Amino acid sequence: MLNFNKWLLGLTLAASVAFGGAALAQSKTAGKKVIFVPITMGISLTEAWVKRMREHAELGGYTIDIKDAAFNTGVMSELLASAISEKPDVLVVHNPTVQLLARQIKQAEAEGIKVVQMNLQSNQPSTAFVGANWDRIGREIAEDIVKECGAGSGKSGKVAIIPGQLTAADSVIMNEAAFKVFAESPEIEVVSNQASDWDPEKARQITATVLQQNPDLCAIFGHWDVHTMGAGKAVQDAGLADQVLVYATGGGDDVACKAIEDGILDREWSYDADGQGRDAATMIDLILQGVATADGSMMVVDSPLKVIKAGDGYDASLCFKP
Amino acid sequence: MAKERGRKGSLLEYVVMGVTVALLAVFSATVQGFASWGNLSVAASNSAALLILACGMGVVILSRGLDLSQVAAMVSGAATFGMLIAGGLPGWAAFGLAGLAMVGVGLLNGWLIAYAEIPAMLATLATAMVIAGAFRFGLLQGEFLLLPATDPTVRLLSADLVPGVGVPVVLAMAVFGLSWLLLRHTTAGRVTYAMGDNFAAARLSGLPVRTTTLLIYVYAALTALLAGLVSAAASGTVDFRSVTSGSLLFEVILVVVLGGIPLRGGRGGMRNILVGIVLVAVLRNGMTLLNLTTQVQDMLKGVVLIIAIVTDNYLNPRDTETDTVGDL
Repeated sequence: MLNFNKWLLGLTLAASVAFGGAALAQSKTAGKKVIFVPITMGISLTEAWVKRMREHAELGGYTIDIKDAAFNTGVMSELLASAISEKPDVLVVHNPTVQLLARQIKQAEAEGIKVVQMNLQSNQPSTAFVGANWDRIGREIAEDIVKECGAGSGKSGKVAIIPGQLTAADSVIMNEAAFKVFAESPEIEVVSNQASDWDPEKARQITATVLQQNPDLCAIFGHWDVHTMGAGKAVQDAGLADQVLVYATGGGDDVACKAIEDGILDREWSYDADGQGRDAATMIDLILQGVATADGSMMVVDSPLKVIKAGDGYDASLCFKP
Repeated sequence: MAKERGRKGSLLEYVVMGVTVALLAVFSATVQGFASWGNLSVAASNSAALLILACGMGVVILSRGLDLSQVAAMVSGAATFGMLIAGGLPGWAAFGLAGLAMVGVGLLNGWLIAYAEIPAMLATLATAMVIAGAFRFGLLQGEFLLLPATDPTVRLLSADLVPGVGVPVVLAMAVFGLSWLLLRHTTAGRVTYAMGDNFAAARLSGLPVRTTTLLIYVYAALTALLAGLVSAAASGTVDFRSVTSGSLLFEVILVVVLGGIPLRGGRGGMRNILVGIVLVAVLRNGMTLLNLTTQVQDMLKGVVLIIAIVTDNYLNPRDTETDTVGDL
């Protein structure tokens, strides 16, 4: 009996500490305001992030507003300006290029708004960055291409790169990292490096043309799965699906897995948008509770990568359902 | 006088043809892989959607109009079609419904221009945003759509009729032939020319300029749907970024103007579209093979357009007869 009472007392104590802790966190976040300015909504990447952010906002009792730029960079600067004027506690931005929003990020931070940069960073550091390590992705994919197409593979070593935009952070960093790897492997020849403006049809047209000139192409490195699907379609139409390896990066939703199953993509380096959404939401929670680095430098959450490959080791569970 | 202008007007056509032949020679001699049957076939299929769009735009510009909403209609039509077949509708029914939606889009454009009497450039600039917005957020509720690859209609649209000649190319030639037929041998076609030549005179002489305007913009919207289906089936995706990037609309106008149809309308015909599309196809294909960056390619296309417009202005100088109210 005494034992049971003791146990009950312990349980009550533990519960009060746990709930008290949660309540404490919520009292710090409740009523606060977060604004997210994405490049666009309506793609699985940003939708997945927002889903997680909203879940956390509900738990923490703070609000989250979305200002959708719908792929219009001009509108995006204006939306960011209006977001800054609303003086949120945390501002989450999704940089289309390394330069576009740099000045405004600096301004927001100067006004005391904590800025979280999501997946694509600008030249301007801020309170936090949550996202993929593009340098690592570029390097790993390039190394995999060297292994598949380079010396001793018996293949041509010819590679086509399809960036999204030459000034987008991911394209800039991945190209730099990849060319560093290719420079050490003279048998690799980059036969094409033309941006698609993120448009699948443009990627398809570039690829169809490049394949005419280089029917012995070994690999395509597309910087995002959505537009790379157009390139993969061109490879399939040319009847070269068995010969050309199509690499992409992406948020790893089930559409990517479907593309791999259909033979349109071969390998995807996924940064798991669902996981990123939770990382970002946690980061927002922590910032609202006052967390910062000791020296004020940028906090960085590096998204773990999932490599999804067609063939024997293929695992559909690596993709998430939005 | 009219005869002389006709001769002068076609001069740009010959300049452009000359440039095309020169480019063909230079690319064949210097670019590995350019002069091959396979490359020709790829260049043709890559230009199919552009040719279809240019046929619609050509008809609009001949009537002294402009349709800046064409690419928005193209992507919206393809998105509608894609969503309907993804929802289990058979291809023909989806095509019919998407066609009806496009007729609506064309009627909206035509009504604003013919009845509300808003200049074509402003009206279609506004409807481009309305259409893209309405279809993107109202219907698709997203930015991007994957077409079911196994659907028989999607397969048909991207298939080869005979090796090297795909359905897109055949469709483009069919639209081209139809446009020529409509312009040359129907009343609406002749009224289109009369409107482009002298709109006030056409209206004052009792020609049905308003109903013809409706027809013209409906035709443009329907060509947009066909172009959308061809390019969506080719890449397996529908993507609203071709609306926001704007480079496709630019290429369509490039084809029409380069071929020698002046922006003030009334002169030229489908033959000019053919001249324009061949140059743009050769230019695009050669520049891609040369691995020029997308930015450099866009810049060079812009330079070519400026040269064409300046040449056009020099060959067809504006005078009191052609320079009227509502001119671009």
